[in-house]
Amino acid sequence: MRHPTDGTLRRLLDEPAGVADADRAHVATCQVCLTALAAAREDALLVGAALLADDPSLADDPSLAGGSSLAGTSSAAGLDVDAAWSRLSRTMAADEQAAADRASGAVLPIGKQSKARQSRWRKALRSPVIAVVGVAAIVTGASAAAAGDWFPIFRAERVAPITIDPADLGKLPELGAYGEVRFIKPPDVRKVPDAAAAREATGLAVPLVGELPRGVTGEPGLIVVNQVSAQFTFDAAKAAAATQGSAPTAPAGLDGSQFRMTAGPGLAQVWTEARGVPAMVVVRVVAPKAYSTGVPFEMARDYLLALPGLPANVAKQLRAFTADGTTLPVIVSSDEGVTSQTQVRGRPATLLTNRGNALNGVVWVEDGVINAVGGSISADEALSVARGLR
Amino acid sequence: MVAGVRPDLEQVFREAYPRVVAVAARVLGSRGEAEDVAQEVFLTFGRSSVPAGEAAGWLSVAAAHTALNHLRSGRRRASREEAAVSPDAVAPDVADAVVTLEERRRVRAALATLPRKQAVALVLRHSGLSYAEVAAALDLSPGSVGTTVRRAESALRKELNRHASSD
Repeated sequence: MRHPTDGTLRRLLDEPAGVADADRAHVATCQVCLTALAAAREDALLVGAALLADDPSLADDPSLAGGSSLAGTSSAAGLDVDAAWSRLSRTMAADEQAAADRASGAVLPIGKQSKARQSRWRKALRSPVIAVVGVAAIVTGASAAAAGDWFPIFRAERVAPITIDPADLGKLPELGAYGEVRFIKPPDVRKVPDAAAAREATGLAVPLVGELPRGVTGEPGLIVVNQVSAQFTFDAAKAAAATQGSAPTAPAGLDGSQFRMTAGPGLAQVWTEARGVPAMVVVRVVAPKAYSTGVPFEMARDYLLALPGLPANVAKQLRAFTADGTTLPVIVSSDEGVTSQTQVRGRPATLLTNRGNALNGVVWVEDGVINAVGGSISADEALSVARGLR
Repeated sequence: MVAGVRPDLEQVFREAYPRVVAVAARVLGSRGEAEDVAQEVFLTFGRSSVPAGEAAGWLSVAAAHTALNHLRSGRRRASREEAAVSPDAVAPDVADAVVTLEERRRVRAALATLPRKQAVALVLRHSGLSYAEVAAALDLSPGSVGTTVRRAESALRKELNRHASSD
């Protein structure tokens, strides 16, 4: 009789019942086959042991490991299936929202975006951070403009931190409370396959990262965003209502005045850890600009900074900005981060250091483009990457 | 439940999650990474129309493929996150097979270079799937599962011997 194949011998180790009686009988008395069987057993044991997970809770059931089966079971004691299901549910819900937004953005004309998107951006606009940036963009603008024309009043050339007490964050005014905010070009964030596509979408070159920090590996994902623009129309009656009459009387000419703000396009390279958390992000965004139809800015600035709800220390910091309309405030919650000034490629830069050192980053403006490097890397690593960008 | 997602997803998830994690852990050696892979696999499955009767096999194969993709593309957990372990530590003693962590690393590296069908068959078998299950999942005859697994084990053994003789 011919010797059974290596495959049959291998199965004999795991599932003897699956092997024909004649083959089993042959092997029992054939020295050649017994030798091959022993070799197969040895290899299977070695590989089986090598493939054990490092986590003992995923190890095989020992009662089977030495028995007739050389392969393990799928025992996985200690797994939190409920938590894993919750995680999957959250991811799917987020994916669905993103898909709905993309779909609506693709078929609806600008200005008639889906409710979901509008709602998201209304929420973003209500965010105190956006409001402060908006207010700051307006109040730091210096030049008065001729009526009827959109005049540039703000162009970010540098960044500077504004430190805000977390208790004050919730008290900050919402831009929408002082007038009407309308997106002219809503944001459209999407992934692109490569640097060429990112450049085509944004007109920006994807910066080349020299040496990756330790622990940051692989190829980054690429995300692009279009140029976003929004228009704010000041409404004195609405402002008075929002402040319950405690706001100073709006100066003549301010009511109905319009401000237009643009930012982007931009791109981000995202290195992701195995758990899906960004390990490092490198961002380039065309810096925000603000325009006006013509308003005496000193008057507007004084009025806005006098509004109740804008914490005194925030107003003081905003006032301290040079009035040349070129400094973009970066909002930092005082309980989470500290900032320091440094230089990147000869430009002033702000280093943001998270308390506990979990997240660090550096931001600077170069030729009208905001650059940022950050992530779960050290401040030194963020600076090193920033300074090595090509 | 999210729209567009198969209605039996939660039931299948609860039944199959441990096995999917176990399969991925065979490839990656790390529970955390294996759970990440399991999430990817179930996300894809949730939007698929794989018949319920074929779900278990499909999920196991998908877990093995996805984990092997992670292994090949170097999308491994950052070294700083690796558990601090002594390089001399040994794996649990299983039937006299004592394998050092370094050998396990080599076996995983070699696993990524095996023909894909061999690697998947090996991982599924060592994750506890029967020959019939592996055969059905990979569209093989039950008779050829043993041959495929044996070839993979032989190749990995040679890889370990090669390094052992060069040490």
